[in-house]
Amino acid sequence: MVLMMLRLIVALGLILGSALAAAPAAAKDTGLIYVSNEKSNNILVIDPKTYKIVNDIAVSRRPRDMHFNAGHTKLYVACGDDDVIDVLDVASGKVVGKLVTGSSPETFAMDEARRRVYVSDEEASSLAVINMDKNIIEKEVPTGAEPEGVMVSKDGKTVYVTSEVSDLVHEIDADGGYVTRDVVVGTRPRRFAATPDGKELWVSTEMAGEVDIIDRKKFAVTGKIDFLPPGMRQSDVTPVGLVMTKDGKTAYVTLGHAAHVAVVDVPTRKVLGYILVGRRSWGITLSGDERTLYVANGLGDDITIIDTASRKPIISIPVGRVPWGVVVDE
Amino acid sequence: MSSAAGLGALPRLAALWLLGFTWAAAAAAQEVPAPARPTPAPPQHHMKIVFVQVDGDRRYEPIVASDRIVLKKPEHPFAGAQVGIDDAAPLRRILNTDFALDRIAVKSPADVAPAIKQAADAGTHFFLVDAPTAAYAALAAAMHGRNVLLFNVSEPDDALRRRLCAGEFVHVYPSRAQLMDGLVQYVVSRRWTNLLELQGPSPADAAMAAAFEYSAKKFGAHIVAQQKFEPGTDPRQREHNDPALLSAINRDFDVVFVADSDFDFVRTVPYHLLRPRPVIGSIDLRPVAWHWTWDHNGAPQVNSRFEKKANGRHMAGADWAAWVAVTMIVQAVLHTRSTDFAKDRAFILGNGSFDGDKGLAVSVRPWDHQVRQAVLLAAPYEVVASAPIEGFLHRTNELDTLGDDQPESTCHLDH
Repeated sequence: MVLMMLRLIVALGLILGSALAAAPAAAKDTGLIYVSNEKSNNILVIDPKTYKIVNDIAVSRRPRDMHFNAGHTKLYVACGDDDVIDVLDVASGKVVGKLVTGSSPETFAMDEARRRVYVSDEEASSLAVINMDKNIIEKEVPTGAEPEGVMVSKDGKTVYVTSEVSDLVHEIDADGGYVTRDVVVGTRPRRFAATPDGKELWVSTEMAGEVDIIDRKKFAVTGKIDFLPPGMRQSDVTPVGLVMTKDGKTAYVTLGHAAHVAVVDVPTRKVLGYILVGRRSWGITLSGDERTLYVANGLGDDITIIDTASRKPIISIPVGRVPWGVVVDE
Repeated sequence: MSSAAGLGALPRLAALWLLGFTWAAAAAAQEVPAPARPTPAPPQHHMKIVFVQVDGDRRYEPIVASDRIVLKKPEHPFAGAQVGIDDAAPLRRILNTDFALDRIAVKSPADVAPAIKQAADAGTHFFLVDAPTAAYAALAAAMHGRNVLLFNVSEPDDALRRRLCAGEFVHVYPSRAQLMDGLVQYVVSRRWTNLLELQGPSPADAAMAAAFEYSAKKFGAHIVAQQKFEPGTDPRQREHNDPALLSAINRDFDVVFVADSDFDFVRTVPYHLLRPRPVIGSIDLRPVAWHWTWDHNGAPQVNSRFEKKANGRHMAGADWAAWVAVTMIVQAVLHTRSTDFAKDRAFILGNGSFDGDKGLAVSVRPWDHQVRQAVLLAAPYEVVASAPIEGFLHRTNELDTLGDDQPESTCHLDH
């Protein structure tokens, strides 16, 4: 009932909002670093030049995955303990809206053209398709147990979801709202990266300690990449976050408890090196010019900033409690 | 609260939404077209798992204080198995398989073997055995050489892994040796190596103390004194029932270990010792297969699913074992894409590694069919550490620093 009322209020707000619509502002490319902190329930904003915290934004409880809209005027933040995605106004640094999700949202993907947000709902074992305008869950697509990573294809027609407990990656028809194909991958698949040519999907498998490479056409695993940073135990190698450069040449993978980021040459699938970071590193993101890498160290309460050219950490900055993700405004 | 916060902000939010079009407009044409919607067929395969428990099993009697205050109400781990079955529901479509769970309750340990034999004769291959030690010898004899896997989900007795040593069993519940090794690794890692041992009168207490002593020797801890306690208030027995007198020894010690499977005397030990020392073993810091406060490795999700299934009850070690046993069976079907028993058995006992939400992947030791796993060291409201503790190394798998490793095991199912 409360939920319905909330949705009604939100819908009403939308109608009002449409009438008052302001002219779109261009992205400012501030380069500011946004860090979500699961246990201190805030987003910290860090100046990339001075490494000083310039803003501390209180959000709903347990903020995790974050995405900017295309214009970088809004930042969407999944807040696991309040079952919402908070909408932050980037200019004012204020929470200006909330999208209601299923229980405990962690990662999500947005398709602004289709006005949709795709959120995995761990407890319901489904992918919730949220209509951003109406602020309602339009569809729930059944997945394997504990769905986690979500990625939407560039054309918006296909959504990919990992199921942590079922060791599966699902291919979902975005408009139809049903699973088209499944592929068995390594134990506890977590997150995705796609090669820019659209041919491959890389998925981190936390318990198998590897990245599996899925051929998107065949929808089959065609390769695996193993990791072992020097001096670490194989059992601590728990890959979670991964990003790829725009030219599709280099991938960076956070290795969780092994406290390193792996640098991978994408065409040859060879590990080129390891960069030391903090404990339980998960969230990872590249700066716009791809010269800087940001890593959130969940059990170190800090982020590590890395120079990609030299593959060396530049500085670690203390943030809030249990940092989950990092995004950069540019 | 959230509605109020959202209302004032909404006009601006909507303004944003009006401009969000450019993003996907330039979508590249190289995207792979998805195939048409597959038509779901009714499941072709059926996989039945039978859970067997013993009514009146003393391990599940409520533990009450003298004035009838109920301290603990242990329950059969059936709900853990149910969570495993629920987790498999989304796979029904993919595997064309229905997973079903039956529950059989028998009247005594002696009835376990005939009940399982009857179900096996009727075609069931996978059983979750929730029975005390007394049931196992007859069960092993009745099932010898049969096409079954019997998952022990609640009994830590080392003798089942060592003397009985039967290939049809998979011991998902940790052995006493594993549990005590985990506990001792922790105290040794803290350099609390001088230990006082207090042992109760029951055979289970003796088994626990023996495992603890073996672990202490293995990891270089020193038991400075071994005392036997007798629960009671008889003043003539005070040397044996008063924790202060039991701990009044000349040598100092870092920690007191208490083996008290009845959870009776041990409750009077904390804060009643002669010296201010922590208590481990049957109270305060306990080695367990699972704890409801464990919040790493996906544990919060499974704890939450379990509590929903079990009316708010916290997930305990046997529940974890039952959940993992079902998970192992389901994963075997998923990875072999088959409900053929020989294939599934080979996967489970062979290269299969499973996510037990305790960090390191769990798998079955080929020599005694014990499931290798982390041991949680739990205080009442916090998991203090997870063993293997960092620094305890093994040539192949750190989990094999806990319990009977291949060279020292007396069971050699792999030969």
